[in-house]
Amino acid sequence: MNSIEIGRLLRANISGCVVGCRVAQINLPAFGAMVRIPLEAGLDIYGLIYDIRIEDDGLVRQLVTTEGISEEVILDNRQNRNVPLEISVLFVGYAVNGEVRHLLPPRPPLTLDAMYPCSADELRRFSAHGRFGYFRHVLRAADLPLGELLAAHLQQAQQVHRAAGAPEWISQATQELITLLRDDYPTLMGVLAAIGECAEG
Amino acid sequence: MTGDEVGEAGLKTVMPTLTIAMNAIIIQMFHFSAERQAMSPVNFAQIQLQIREMGQLAPRVARERLERVELARRCLAELAEELDALRSRVAQVVQHAPTLRCAVPLDQPLTAHLPPAPQLPLHSLLAADGSQINPNAHDPEPFGVINVGVFIMRPGLGDAPREVVRSRLLCQEALYNRRGHLLSEEVVALRRDLSERQELLELARNQPAPVLTLTDGPLELFREPREDEDFRQPFADYLHVLQELAEAGVMTAGYVDKPRADLVVRLLELTLLPQDALSRAGVDRPLRGVGDTDLFWPLLAPGERTAVFAIQSGLSNRFTDRLALHFFYLNVGSAAHPWLARVEIPAWMAVQPQLLDLLQAALLWQCRQMGGRPYPYALQRAHEVAVVRLEEKQQLEEMILAELRRQGLMVGERSHKQSGKDLLSKRHR
Repeated sequence: MNSIEIGRLLRANISGCVVGCRVAQINLPAFGAMVRIPLEAGLDIYGLIYDIRIEDDGLVRQLVTTEGISEEVILDNRQNRNVPLEISVLFVGYAVNGEVRHLLPPRPPLTLDAMYPCSADELRRFSAHGRFGYFRHVLRAADLPLGELLAAHLQQAQQVHRAAGAPEWISQATQELITLLRDDYPTLMGVLAAIGECAEG
Repeated sequence: MTGDEVGEAGLKTVMPTLTIAMNAIIIQMFHFSAERQAMSPVNFAQIQLQIREMGQLAPRVARERLERVELARRCLAELAEELDALRSRVAQVVQHAPTLRCAVPLDQPLTAHLPPAPQLPLHSLLAADGSQINPNAHDPEPFGVINVGVFIMRPGLGDAPREVVRSRLLCQEALYNRRGHLLSEEVVALRRDLSERQELLELARNQPAPVLTLTDGPLELFREPREDEDFRQPFADYLHVLQELAEAGVMTAGYVDKPRADLVVRLLELTLLPQDALSRAGVDRPLRGVGDTDLFWPLLAPGERTAVFAIQSGLSNRFTDRLALHFFYLNVGSAAHPWLARVEIPAWMAVQPQLLDLLQAALLWQCRQMGGRPYPYALQRAHEVAVVRLEEKQQLEEMILAELRRQGLMVGERSHKQSGKDLLSKRHR
């Protein structure tokens, strides 16, 4: 299990949260990556990263106008200054003592709870559980870039399933999306186009 | 009666009623406006009149000032090479006016403008700034805090800079002077200045040389009361730290942004004084309102600095020998927007051209980092690290009160006056 902390919780509600971390933090997860927030004993919340926002402040706005800004100043602003990078997460399920449920968590995490990237095994177990019930949390979030988010997630999940000897996972996932979106043709086309780009890449 | 006449008669009948109604509305508006004004801390109506008067006078004031600026520039050009005569004049006037405050030229013309050196062999730069919480007798438990932030850069090594914060709580006995009075704002500020310098000394010793330490504002201190014992000991300690920095070969500079000093102008004024009025030096001001920047900004191209001058003043005379105060002006701006800073340094640096070159190059490099508003980046960051906000003061106060309660002690109450002020400030926020 990968135990490198990504950041700590700034704010949350029952369907998602925002986590802050330093700008220069290494091992930053990618857009669409699955993350885990452990709560009290045995309860883990799972989510997908749908936005990574880099905040600014007055000094940064002034510095961007500088020609030939020095390496020390760049490092200072990334490592020392209190301007966090904000990662937005959409909750897609939780696990109690390792038993996965594709439901919203019973309660949101609390301020300063730590967030970790999911290991390949965690991602595989979560996405293989049931019949893709967690897709409905993504499809319900109308303001998100649905196609891009699903494509990024499917690409990452496909790799771990293929490595685990289950190459059929991606076609099952795509089929499920077609079923779920059969009454929403524009969204379905957008999602399939993004998945297609992903497959070509 | 024509239609127009009927209308006119009707209007005459209606007009008094309308006038009364309008007057009532105007009176109501006036009352409302007066009420609004009573709630405002500023009487804008009165101030507006004064602003208008000021505006009417402004062109004449500006014209007269420009005449004095032109006179000062002519003096500067004429006396640029008369260094011996100027030094003699200062020495002569000081005998009549010992507290005279002015610049004293060294060995370069007054109009010298020196370009920056091309290289930057600086290995360590430390900038310090401080902030303070002043003890307030109206608080439940008066306390003070001296907070010093130091920002450390090692140019060229590719390291991330480092921040150091040192916070010192002033409480119990430390809050009072020997006469039992609560420490004044000036005394806390002096101790803060001293703490900044002490932290720089301690941290600079471990840095690779050459090391430059920067603080915001002049090296000369202007804290009151100068002859008081609250001032004497911290000032002696301050000089001692400057001496130790000098012995360690650590460069020290005070950076003054948007300087209002008129030290060189005051030097020029000495030459305008009649021989029988030398004791009036500094009192009769033929060039009043003219600043040194008025003299130098047309002379200095971007990156250039003036000659170095010594400072003659009652207080600066306490900085003796290697610590005697000197300064120069530096154009840290661009061709389109010149911006002059005044840089104070001790004498031991003023006599070493390579250190002056290094300082000039380092300050320009620092100011360049801030883009269109040139100011040393390290000082900006030291300030950012050091500043104590109101919320932090409130948090500290809660911590202190909680600790006292934990010890089973009664804690005081905020004065009613302060509580009232706090209410007002919350309403205005």
